[in-house]
Amino acid sequence: MDIENIKIKVREAFVKVLEHDNFTLTDQTTAHDVDGWESITHMMIISEIEKSFDIKFKLMSLMNMNNIGDLIQTIESEIK
Amino acid sequence: MGVIDQIVESFSKYKNRPALCIRKETYTYEDLSQSISDIRLLIREHIPLSHKHIGIMTNDDVETYATIFALWLEGKAYIPITPTTPLERNSFILNEVGSNFVLSSEKVDGYDKDYSVLITSDIQSAEINLEPSEFSESNLAYILFTSGSTGTPKGVPITFKNLDSLFRALDADPRHKIFSEDKCLQMFELNFDFSLVTFLYPLLNGASIYTIPKDQIKYFYIYKLILEEKLTYLVMVPSVIHYLRPYFSEINELEVRYCCFGAAPLDADIVLEWKKCIPNAILYNSYGPTEYTVTTTYYSLENNDTPKTRNGVVALGKPLDKVEAMVIDEFQNILKPGEEGELCLAGSQLTSGYWGNSQKNKESFFTTVYNGKEQRFYKTGDLCTMDEEQDITFIGRKDFQVKIRGYRVELSEIEFYAKEKLSKTNVIGIDITNDLGNTEIALIIESDKFDVSDLEKHLKNKLPDYMIPTQYKFIKEFPLNANGKINRKVIKNIL
Repeated sequence: MDIENIKIKVREAFVKVLEHDNFTLTDQTTAHDVDGWESITHMMIISEIEKSFDIKFKLMSLMNMNNIGDLIQTIESEIK
Repeated sequence: MGVIDQIVESFSKYKNRPALCIRKETYTYEDLSQSISDIRLLIREHIPLSHKHIGIMTNDDVETYATIFALWLEGKAYIPITPTTPLERNSFILNEVGSNFVLSSEKVDGYDKDYSVLITSDIQSAEINLEPSEFSESNLAYILFTSGSTGTPKGVPITFKNLDSLFRALDADPRHKIFSEDKCLQMFELNFDFSLVTFLYPLLNGASIYTIPKDQIKYFYIYKLILEEKLTYLVMVPSVIHYLRPYFSEINELEVRYCCFGAAPLDADIVLEWKKCIPNAILYNSYGPTEYTVTTTYYSLENNDTPKTRNGVVALGKPLDKVEAMVIDEFQNILKPGEEGELCLAGSQLTSGYWGNSQKNKESFFTTVYNGKEQRFYKTGDLCTMDEEQDITFIGRKDFQVKIRGYRVELSEIEFYAKEKLSKTNVIGIDITNDLGNTEIALIIESDKFDVSDLEKHLKNKLPDYMIPTQYKFIKEFPLNANGKINRKVIKNIL
């Protein structure tokens, strides 16, 4: 799967959990930039992404995820 | 020794030791004492002596913690208000206690019009001074506001005598002791009374506390602190391990020696799994209403793989030293061991009553002769049993008990059987009124939609017909309040 497709699916997970699409996701985007993205919705987004890519994140990578760029990179390495 | 004396002693004895760790920045007891002294000067210059109740904006920084101590040493009580709470609700709180002042480490919008806002950061430096200027144990230490059933918050005033009694009771049980080498988790908002155990108790004992920055993903940050900072002493709400549960197999933290839960029902199956993640720790469940100064009972899970439970929820345990606890029926008769009723508490940790709310005080407090002396009891609203060994077990909130077709129904019992079928899925039962004005039960499931016929079959096998939910609703994630408890009110409103 190429990066663009990963980004599309990630965006879908965000829209599904946050129930709005009023945001742009770039590599630098953090929870601070997106309405409704906080501790609890983050856990839901992670679980949604795990389902949609059929992957299971490592706690260690989740812990060090600081922005969308980190998230995309982790997904990329998990589905390889 | 009381709290104030202990602050004076501990802060100078451990002056070079770390007191707070906030965003990886460490502040020693001396740094904290400096900040306290600077803020004392600010208070003395701007706030009249007669003004006793002062609002404090709860930011996550050294100045906010220092402000609490500065107010205490100046003979004043703190009234915490949080930056994320609407101005209107915070104003209600400040007006209730008659505070004209708000102390904040950061600029706050909207408060200048009605209150004098004093900024506590980057201020004039003063000589370190931790001697209390005016102190009596009957002084108020804080007033916390809890949500009231009528929609307006209720103020709970707590004196130093109440606080001293709490820490004396904790000290009486050496298992809860904190040492100066301990690294303690402080995950709570300062308007939540559990924070007194997570910030004050460690600081009274020379230990260091680690806070959670408000912009971080709470659950991962807690784990990061445990892993990287090697935390030893954890006090948490059960939702933390609920969210970390998918990753338990990766967690094995040997440094944690103490882990206590509280403020929400603790599921036995999850906590027993969590126990394997921190194999050297002793685990506890705890319980206590704000009205009874933070903590009332502890239940130890030490050497205990089959804890006492009710509907899968771990027991609350035994009352702390000098806590008078009894279970009564609706006519205030004291019940026998094992009988279900409302838990009532008396003793020196008990608040003097809700702030300016005589109606509510009449409903919630009563005086009776118990153990040979007249004592004032607080009705907790929690339905419990107390067994022969004095272990208290939580059954449900009195107000979660509903009547369906004349039968008394505990929503937690329905939740238990639903959880039994849907392993690892959260559910709550809610009473709803149907079009005909009858009470029915809706089961709210934290999940994507699925076919409930198997679940319904299971419930029908376990429960009498009047306890079977008539509606099943799905919510992707339960709304929690700021302290990690499921917000039933919000869910009810969504429905």
